[in-house]
Amino acid sequence: MHIIELIFSPLLALLIGVFFLGLARKVMARIQWRYGPPVTQPLIDIIRLLSQKSASHGVAFNIGLVMSLAGSLVITLFLPFGKIAPMSNSGGMLVILYLMLIGPLGMAISSGESANPNASIGISRKLLLAMGYELPFLLVVLALMTAYNTTSITEIVSLQRDTGWSMFTFPLVLSGIAYLLILPAMLGVRPFEVVNAPQEISSGPLVEYGGPYLALATLQHALAFFIGISLFVNLMWGGAANPVIFFLKMLVVFFLGIFVNAVFPRLRIDQAIRYLWRWPSLIAFAGLILVCVTGS
Amino acid sequence: MDRNQLKKWFQNPVKMAHKYSLHVVYFCTGCGIIEIPPSITARWDAERFGIIPVATPRQASLFIIAGYVSLKTLRSIIRTYEQMPEPKFTVSLGSCPINGGMYYDSYNTIKHLEKYIPVDGMIAGCMPRPEAIFVGVTHLWTLIDKDMADGYKRYRSNYSAYRANQEKILGKLEWPPLFPIHGEE
Amino acid sequence: MLKQELETTFDNITIRMEKKNQLELSITKDGIMSVLSFLKNKGYDHLHVISCVDWIDDKQLELVYILSAYMKQDVPGETEQLNILLKTRIGRDDPKYITSIALFPAAEPYEREIHEMFGVDFLGHPRLTPLLLERDYDIPPFRKDFDTKQYVDDVFGSVPSVEGEDKN
Repeated sequence: MHIIELIFSPLLALLIGVFFLGLARKVMARIQWRYGPPVTQPLIDIIRLLSQKSASHGVAFNIGLVMSLAGSLVITLFLPFGKIAPMSNSGGMLVILYLMLIGPLGMAISSGESANPNASIGISRKLLLAMGYELPFLLVVLALMTAYNTTSITEIVSLQRDTGWSMFTFPLVLSGIAYLLILPAMLGVRPFEVVNAPQEISSGPLVEYGGPYLALATLQHALAFFIGISLFVNLMWGGAANPVIFFLKMLVVFFLGIFVNAVFPRLRIDQAIRYLWRWPSLIAFAGLILVCVTGS
Repeated sequence: MDRNQLKKWFQNPVKMAHKYSLHVVYFCTGCGIIEIPPSITARWDAERFGIIPVATPRQASLFIIAGYVSLKTLRSIIRTYEQMPEPKFTVSLGSCPINGGMYYDSYNTIKHLEKYIPVDGMIAGCMPRPEAIFVGVTHLWTLIDKDMADGYKRYRSNYSAYRANQEKILGKLEWPPLFPIHGEE
Repeated sequence: MLKQELETTFDNITIRMEKKNQLELSITKDGIMSVLSFLKNKGYDHLHVISCVDWIDDKQLELVYILSAYMKQDVPGETEQLNILLKTRIGRDDPKYITSIALFPAAEPYEREIHEMFGVDFLGHPRLTPLLLERDYDIPPFRKDFDTKQYVDDVFGSVPSVEGEDKN
């Protein structure tokens, strides 16, 4: 049973991530009064890309991409999806925090090898943006760990079952608001879509990716989407005992992100950092202090 | 549109995926740039056919050359075309790439695009309306279905002739040949 | 007012004012730099474009400098935007002229273009390298004796078709 879960949960994450990508395109189209592509469009794209041959730019180009995808796949083992949580008893939050860096880092190594100036700009923006949201995110996670007195993500989920969603319990309200404010940056959607800006820097790190490389990069993007939403649901919206309920909660968060994506223009990177380090960080810090004061 | 026929998907998923996932890199040299934005935005919505514009030739499978081609842009067009991964399709828009159009006696505009890179389809008009672009795309689907959109194969097999034509008009090209050239030691 | 000043300062200058805000000055080719610097000191320090006209029957090339003040407040006493067309004619065979980059740095690309399209050699220009054209032309292509149809037939018509005529 455990083995099946180990194999099954990354595949499920991939499936849901790709489904989210397709749904995002459809929903965006409907918001813009278009008919939009079918929901299966990313799958069609991935089939097409995998059937093509494209130029590689060296060993690090391939290894970095695989490393990024593998890192993202490993995180899904630690994230509880309803009851499906094959490895969440070992490690917990700290492992997830470390592994979350492997995805961007692998992409940085890979697209750095491609030696395209647009890729360099995109990667520097990506790491800057990660620096921007890591600070409030770490404060939020610290507040959560202090409040629940544990680092295990399954325990956080199960404790929320008794106390209610941590976003709506008293000392964690501010942390929840801060997390909601940085969520678009963690998902990389439009106000913070500085990394893959196609109009400015020719889709940034992905500029030299074609064929199967782009397919793997798309899968990694889908996984990153899944991880961002799933982490938020687990930490703030109480997770779920039932995978179906969990999926519905993820769907709600996903729609929130897409609505924000549809109506906002893109920020510049300096504006994004200024925003992330000002209001979400302040609120998260206040939330941490509130937790420390009321918890003792 | 046979996108929803599952049987065809199981028979030949690759061909179907090539048909319905055309990522386009637009080469907007001339007045074609005016016709492209309505066709990809809300009014005509090319995305419902799976056609989206991408930013780099590496990600693209369809190359739309919209408008006249001057010598300087021909250089970029050849480079862009050679960077695209196979299979790749080329569609030219407007009458200028067909025979020069209104620039038939211009000293700096090439007249027949298909002498320099292979062109799978040409949409005539000056300029063609967005509807014509979609008609062109449906024709391209038919061609892909019948394996007749073989421009990239023709480019591979006739590469020395294409390269000779390119060098005849542009002088020495500063990038190495994409494929080995026949008849060279 | 500007008209009288120009007439008193320079000899052999022809001044016409056919439209309300357009002043046409013609001068021999020796006087053009002094007129340009005079106008620049007067406040007309914005060079829009340098153009060239090929008068093939007169065997002359006409250079046209189009100037105006960037804002009409820059020129005291001017009530509306005045465009100044400063014309001069140079010989058509082996045309040479001096550059005006010292006065107007913006003249650099225009002079390069005129050099490329009309074959005018601007003495003192730092780089008269090709700007727009890819090929070498025996006669600069904007001259009137350049036969475009003949050129197209020679160059583009001689490129062979790759696939042959029976392409389906």
